[in-house]
Amino acid sequence: MADTTANQLFDIWKKQLEEGTQAWTRLVIQAPPTAPPDPFSFWRPVLDEGLQAWAKLFAQSPVSPDLHGQWKQFLDQWIEAWSKVLGQAMGTEEFAKLMGQSLDQILVSQAPLKKVADQGIEQALQSLNLPSRSQLTAVAKQIVELEDRLERIEDTIGAVLRRLDKEPR
Amino acid sequence: MGQERFADVVERFTNAYGVVSGVAPEVLTQWQEELDKLQRRLTNLHRLVTNPPEPKVGQTPREEIYKKNKSRLYRYASSRRYKTPLLFVPNLGISRPYIFDLLPNGSFIEHMTREGFDFYLLDWGVFGPEDNDLTVEDCVTRILPRMARKVLESSGATELNVLGYCMGAPISACFVATHPDIPVKNYIDMAGPIDFSKVGLFGLWLKKDYFNVDRFVDTLGSVPADMVKAGFKLIKPTMDLSTSLNLWWNLWNDQYVEGFQALSKWANEYVAFPGEFFRQWVRDFYQENKLYRGELVMGGRPVRLQNITCPVFVVGAKEDYIAPPDCVRALLDAVASREKEYVELPGGHISLIAGRGAARHCWPKVSDWLASRS
Repeated sequence: MADTTANQLFDIWKKQLEEGTQAWTRLVIQAPPTAPPDPFSFWRPVLDEGLQAWAKLFAQSPVSPDLHGQWKQFLDQWIEAWSKVLGQAMGTEEFAKLMGQSLDQILVSQAPLKKVADQGIEQALQSLNLPSRSQLTAVAKQIVELEDRLERIEDTIGAVLRRLDKEPR
Repeated sequence: MGQERFADVVERFTNAYGVVSGVAPEVLTQWQEELDKLQRRLTNLHRLVTNPPEPKVGQTPREEIYKKNKSRLYRYASSRRYKTPLLFVPNLGISRPYIFDLLPNGSFIEHMTREGFDFYLLDWGVFGPEDNDLTVEDCVTRILPRMARKVLESSGATELNVLGYCMGAPISACFVATHPDIPVKNYIDMAGPIDFSKVGLFGLWLKKDYFNVDRFVDTLGSVPADMVKAGFKLIKPTMDLSTSLNLWWNLWNDQYVEGFQALSKWANEYVAFPGEFFRQWVRDFYQENKLYRGELVMGGRPVRLQNITCPVFVVGAKEDYIAPPDCVRALLDAVASREKEYVELPGGHISLIAGRGAARHCWPKVSDWLASRS
């Protein structure tokens, strides 16, 4: 009895499998043929032109040393084509937006890390009794300000001397 | 293998090839030349890789006239045929100014001094973190007037000519427009952007909607040289590829290799921007186009380009993607000068100032225009 039931179940499963396979086969056969994506479609004219040039050269007998020149020309064209495509892509608002967002993300994530690192370095240098970059920068700024003050004094003295020269004695 | 011996081998090989295949003699000669070039290419490549000589740039004799913080004013030796001295104002940050005196027989400064101009170069210098408070306004109202006065003092002249290149052009235009007390006889803008609404890719990338200059400067403090490099590499990503290809193509030519090494040294030596300078440069010039719109105020004075009344000469480059011709040419419409002229030359931003094309197309035009007015 048990064997009969098992055989019936097996037959049902087998029938379903066959029908499913047939259905899938029909579906695949009936589906309209789709062309595979061609990643080279954009470059095809450039590549074709280059290949034609190469084919023409190889058809020559014997091979001329101009082959090297043709190779250079081909690469120049190829680089130029890439340059144009990249230029077009980078000249879009989308690219500018994406770049701005990426930069912002880097800066936002970098700012707290930088702050912590700067504080750590500052404390370490302080404990070693060594001047930090910010302290040296502050001294350098003071020197720059002093130089500016001296220049302003120089200018004032120059202006006074010029005025005195002009005045009748 | 020595050069003589290699040449013999080449000759033997090509002669034998000719006999075997019945090739025309002119094709054989071409092959010989090509193989000879290849041998010289390999020799130079080996030298470049194993023992690259340091290019000797900036060889025109000069003396330091004045220094202010990192900035230097240099006066170049010349016959000084013209009485009006010329103050050359290059870009601040980005790159070093030895590009203007790259190599003998390929130097803008050498050309100008040979023509008899009393040439002064303002080298802004390489700024450090202590200069992060420096602004464009400081350059226009404090550094440039002082340097211009030093030019007049040391030359003994009563007037001076001013030539701005790249970023140096809008900065010096601001200076000329706001300092009527300093007599500027002629003004030249070489590849200097004026109308920033037409400035191309950089204008788009630095738009207020996409680029937060305050966050950028507040986080980094200054604009590191590597960041400047990345920006300029990105604007023309295929540049390195085409440069390498051209190097291989011309590697047999010793003169080309020497020029390449000097230019390559310059092109890879980027200079950082002081933080506040960058903030003002991006916000007031790129994002708000205040200079062209007449909304800029510096040292308490409004910067109006129509205050420039001296003769003006503007030079743009057809394929300039840093300062496209339209944004450079805009100066002509903004100034009140009666005598003004614009020329557009072939090449890119650097082609105006370095290279064989510049010596042929650009420099004589600048020196000829200036000679009759100096």
